[in-house]
Amino acid sequence: MSAAAFERCMIIFLSLLTLLISSLLLIILVTVFIKGLPALHSGFFMEASENFGRSGGIFYQLMGTLLLMTGAVLVSLPVALGSVIYQTQFLKSKSLKEVCRLSAQMLNATPTILFGLVGYLFFGVYLKTGVSWVTGSLILSIMILPTLQISIREAIEAMPQKYKDTGMALGLSRWEQIKSIIIPQCYYGIITGVFLGLARAAGETAAIMFAATTFSGIQFPETFEDPVPTLQTHMLVLTQEAANPKAIAQAWGAGWVLLALVFILTITAWILRSRLKMEAEL
Amino acid sequence: MKNESQCMMWVFACLNFMFLCCMGGLFFFLVHESFPIIKLYGLDFWFGQDWWVGETYGALPMLYGSTLVTALACLLVLPLALAVAIFISEFLTSMNRRFVKAVLELLAGVPGIVYGLLGVTFLSLWIKDIFGLLDGNTLVTAACLLSIMILPTVLTLSEDAMRAVPAEYRENALGLGLSKWQTAITVVLPQALPGIMGAVLLGIGRAMGETIAVMLVVGSLDRIPDPWFNIFSSAQTIPSKLGREAAESIGEGTHWSALMALGLTLFLMVLVISFMGNRFLKRERKL
Repeated sequence: MSAAAFERCMIIFLSLLTLLISSLLLIILVTVFIKGLPALHSGFFMEASENFGRSGGIFYQLMGTLLLMTGAVLVSLPVALGSVIYQTQFLKSKSLKEVCRLSAQMLNATPTILFGLVGYLFFGVYLKTGVSWVTGSLILSIMILPTLQISIREAIEAMPQKYKDTGMALGLSRWEQIKSIIIPQCYYGIITGVFLGLARAAGETAAIMFAATTFSGIQFPETFEDPVPTLQTHMLVLTQEAANPKAIAQAWGAGWVLLALVFILTITAWILRSRLKMEAEL
Repeated sequence: MKNESQCMMWVFACLNFMFLCCMGGLFFFLVHESFPIIKLYGLDFWFGQDWWVGETYGALPMLYGSTLVTALACLLVLPLALAVAIFISEFLTSMNRRFVKAVLELLAGVPGIVYGLLGVTFLSLWIKDIFGLLDGNTLVTAACLLSIMILPTVLTLSEDAMRAVPAEYRENALGLGLSKWQTAITVVLPQALPGIMGAVLLGIGRAMGETIAVMLVVGSLDRIPDPWFNIFSSAQTIPSKLGREAAESIGEGTHWSALMALGLTLFLMVLVISFMGNRFLKRERKL
């Protein structure tokens, strides 16, 4: 075989491989949907689960997941925003900046189950929040902190220097610059970060499985000390009942909802990022 | 005005301090909680082969399982990721390239529990049938599943590294009469090597910490496979051990301390690997 023919063959082979990997996403989506079809019925979103998850819907599980992720972002956002503003606007020392950057990287790489263990110990045992949705939100808020920070930092660093120079020339104080220049110019970064953080929190199981969630017994938390049922825990418990086809179908159904939730949040984040970024640059 | 700025600065500084505390606190608690077991066993904790709750604690089977699963996943993912990364960075038009990258980013966001369900339902049965095993929950199953999970990360980052190779290198090579394929293999690939190393290390870091998916398909058997290279036997990794047992003894006792010592080990391993990975990626960016 000549060299040119060999190259052409390799390129065709690689393009097929790339096509295969790109279609992996579609394969996963379709598989989960088809497998979950027996469980998906009109009331799947609005009904409580019955018979230990083997029939019924996933209303309270979905609510639990939404509650945990919203709580996590509400706690995480002020800390992420404040720390990034401090690091970019106030902190002078190069080495301290490096320390902050490294910490964020390390926090991002930490295995999520460790957040669950240590978070439960710190919040649940020492601060006495127990196994509850509050503990879960706090644990997730630490977990998504780096995600939010990265988005906000990228937006702040992409802002043209002349905006800040103009602010300084107008005699604005540091806080006024932040309030009226940096935050309005960089809000697309904040919003993108929020959505990506929500998506990351929605997909997480290990960190909350023994600190915040329950499989049955509770539908919606009435106090701060109640655990919540979540989609992730629901799936985890049902998956382990591999012999029961009804339970597995429910797990697939829940999985499809979870997958859809994560994808919608991620894609919304992208759309908002590109649209708001253009607005901010006007 | 000045006072207000000063005041807000302290607020931001406090928030930044809280963020640093999260990282410091995590490390502190892991060390603090694993101290009793390390005092009790010393280094033997990491070399002990038996783990019987209430009697003896040895971490070697889990350490070995984690290492082997991660290494296998890495071996599986590397050729595929490299081949596709070359194709995306050197042969695709920029619009197709952006599309594939977006798909990869979505793939990276698929929750671990969904992969776990796919692994339990399909992969472990396939492996059982193909290799004629009694139980499909083996090291190989976990490694295959992990390799699919880290593929998007490794692929995207190594593709970034290849794109970062300056265009003059390519133009020179093409000007010397090399074909596009030869340019990709002999010029771009070697230049992007540090970045690819970084991508693989970050992928390894992610694979090591993955809990749920691995827990469901690895078989959860606290034993070093016999013989040691038998990848078709059930085993246990550190995160899957933590996931299985932490609920039993949360907060107190020797068992908890032993689990936290496992956690500390995992934390340090992942930290070193991803630190090195980030160093490689940074060096790439400076080029």
